[in-house]
Amino acid sequence: MSFQIPIGPQHPALKEPISLRMTVEGEVITDADIRLGYNHRGIEKLAEERNWIQNIYLMERICGICSHSHATCYVQAVERLMELVPPKRGLYIRYLVSELERVHSHLLWLGVAGHEAGFDSFFMYTWRDREIVMDLLEMVSGNRVHYAINTVGGVRRDLDEGQKAKILEGVAMLRKRSVYYFKIGASEPSFVARIAGVGLLTKEQAVALCAVGPTARASGWDRDVRKEDPYAVYDELEWEVATADTCDVLGRVVVRVKELLQSYNMIEQMVQGLPAGDITVKAPRKAKPGETVSRYEAPRGENIHYIKSNGTEKPERLKVRAPTLANYAATVVMLKNGFIADIPLIFAAIDPCICCAERSVTLVDGRSGEESIVRTSDLRRRALARPANALVKGKAVWPF
Amino acid sequence: MTDAELIAKLQADLGSRAEIASPGPRRLFLKVAAADIVTVVTRIRDAFGVVFLSTISGVDTGTAFELLYHFSIPEQDLNVRTEIPREVPRVASISPVIPGAILYEREIQDMFGIVVEGIPDGRPLVLPDDWPEGQFPLRKDWKFVRPAEVIPGGES
Repeated sequence: MSFQIPIGPQHPALKEPISLRMTVEGEVITDADIRLGYNHRGIEKLAEERNWIQNIYLMERICGICSHSHATCYVQAVERLMELVPPKRGLYIRYLVSELERVHSHLLWLGVAGHEAGFDSFFMYTWRDREIVMDLLEMVSGNRVHYAINTVGGVRRDLDEGQKAKILEGVAMLRKRSVYYFKIGASEPSFVARIAGVGLLTKEQAVALCAVGPTARASGWDRDVRKEDPYAVYDELEWEVATADTCDVLGRVVVRVKELLQSYNMIEQMVQGLPAGDITVKAPRKAKPGETVSRYEAPRGENIHYIKSNGTEKPERLKVRAPTLANYAATVVMLKNGFIADIPLIFAAIDPCICCAERSVTLVDGRSGEESIVRTSDLRRRALARPANALVKGKAVWPF
Repeated sequence: MTDAELIAKLQADLGSRAEIASPGPRRLFLKVAAADIVTVVTRIRDAFGVVFLSTISGVDTGTAFELLYHFSIPEQDLNVRTEIPREVPRVASISPVIPGAILYEREIQDMFGIVVEGIPDGRPLVLPDDWPEGQFPLRKDWKFVRPAEVIPGGES
C-alpha cells in the first residue's frame, strides 16, 4: 500500500512555496515529484522592459540570500557586451563581497543543517557568528541583504583603511570560532550518525542529472566555476576546490565547511592585496548588438545568465538559471528510498531555503483500511531496521 | 588543449553538421540544424565528454525560435544553437541523452510553446494550472493584459 504525501505548496513548515509530492510505502519514499511555479514572478519578461542599470537591481531581487551572485553574474555579462574593463580595485571589492556573501550563506546553511539534524546548539552558535559577517557586509555595502554594490563598470562604494582592518579582525574571529564549532560537530557522534548515509547521490547520478555546486562536489565531482572559468580575480588568489566523496549529507556539510575556510583565506588575500586606483569606469547607456554567456559560482552552485542585446538600452533576452533549479532533478533521486524523517535534511542539503518540512504533513489518498493494520507492524520493523540499513560512512575527511 | 585545437577537432568530427564560432576565450558557439540536435549532442557527449548541461535558453527572434543548449567541460563552454521555425515549433528531446535536461525542456515548453518531442515527462512546470491554452509568455508578441478584477459576491 502506498500513500501520497503532499508537502506544500502552502505549508506551515515551508518558507517558500513549492509542492513536493512523496509517494511513500511505510516509512520509505518510493517516488518523489516536484512542482514549481508558485513563486514565478516573470522576471525574464520584466527584464526586457528595463534598461541595463535598472536590471542590476531587478536581478539582485531574484534571491534574498545570494542576491549579490545574480547581480554580479548579470554585471559581468553586461560588461562583456559593452567591452568594458572594470578597474582592478573595483573587481577586488566586488568579489570580496561575493566571498563575504558565501560565508554568510554557508554559515546560515550549516545552522539549518544542524537544526534539521536536531543539533540546535550548533544552529544557534553558527547563526550568532553569522551576525559578524552580516555586520561586515553592512559596513562595506550599507545593506544587510541587497547589497546594491555592483554597477556596470565596477562597484559603487570604496573601502577605507579602517574598514579593511575591521574585515580582517572579523574574519580572524570567524575562523577561530568556526574551527572550534566544526571540531565539535565532527566529533559529535550523534550528529555525524544522523547525517551520514542520508540522501545518497552517486557521482554517476550527479553527472547525469547535471547537479551543481556543493551537491555535485560532495559526490566527488570537482567542478567549480571559480576554478575552471576564473572570472576576474580568482586566478590571482590561492585556493582549492573543496570536495568530498561520501555522496551524502555528511559530505555536503564537509564541503561547505571546507569552502568556508577557503573563503576566509580568499577574503584575507583580497583585503591585503587590494590594489589602489579607481573603483569604477563610466559605462555607456547602450550595448552593441551581441550575445554573451556569464557564469558565476554562487554559494549554491553554478549560476548562469545568457544575455542577448539588440543595440538599444534594454536587453533583447535575459535568461537566468539559478543553481537550485539545476539541483531539483538530483533531489528527486536523493529522496527516493529515503525515509520520511530524512525529507527535510535531504531537501535542506541542497540549500533551497526550505526546511522543517516534516513537522506537519497530511496523509491523503490511497488509503485502504485492512492493509494499514499489517503496516503498523511493518512500520515498526522498518523503523527498527533503519539504523542497520543506513549506509553509515563516518569516514569523511574533515579539514583539520 | 587550446581553443583552436578543440575547434579543429570538433569541426573534423562533426563535419558539415556544425558551424563553429568562437567570439571570445572559453566560449564556443556551435550552430546545428534542428534535425541534427540529438545526433550532435550524443556525439559531443561520447567523443568529447560533454556531459554537463547548464540550461537551455530560448530566444524569440521574431521569425524563428532559437534554442541555445549551454554545455560546459572544465576547459571550455560549448553553446549549441539551433533554430526552429515559428510555424512548426517542434524539436526533439535530448533528455534520453542528458537526463538533467528534463526541467529545462519542460520550461521551454511552458514559456515558448515549443513542442519537445519524446520528452519523458511533459507536464507543465512553472505556469499555473489554470493558465489559458496557447498563451506563451516569453514569445515577443505576448503582452500581459491584466484581467479585470472580480470581487466574489461583490458588485464590481
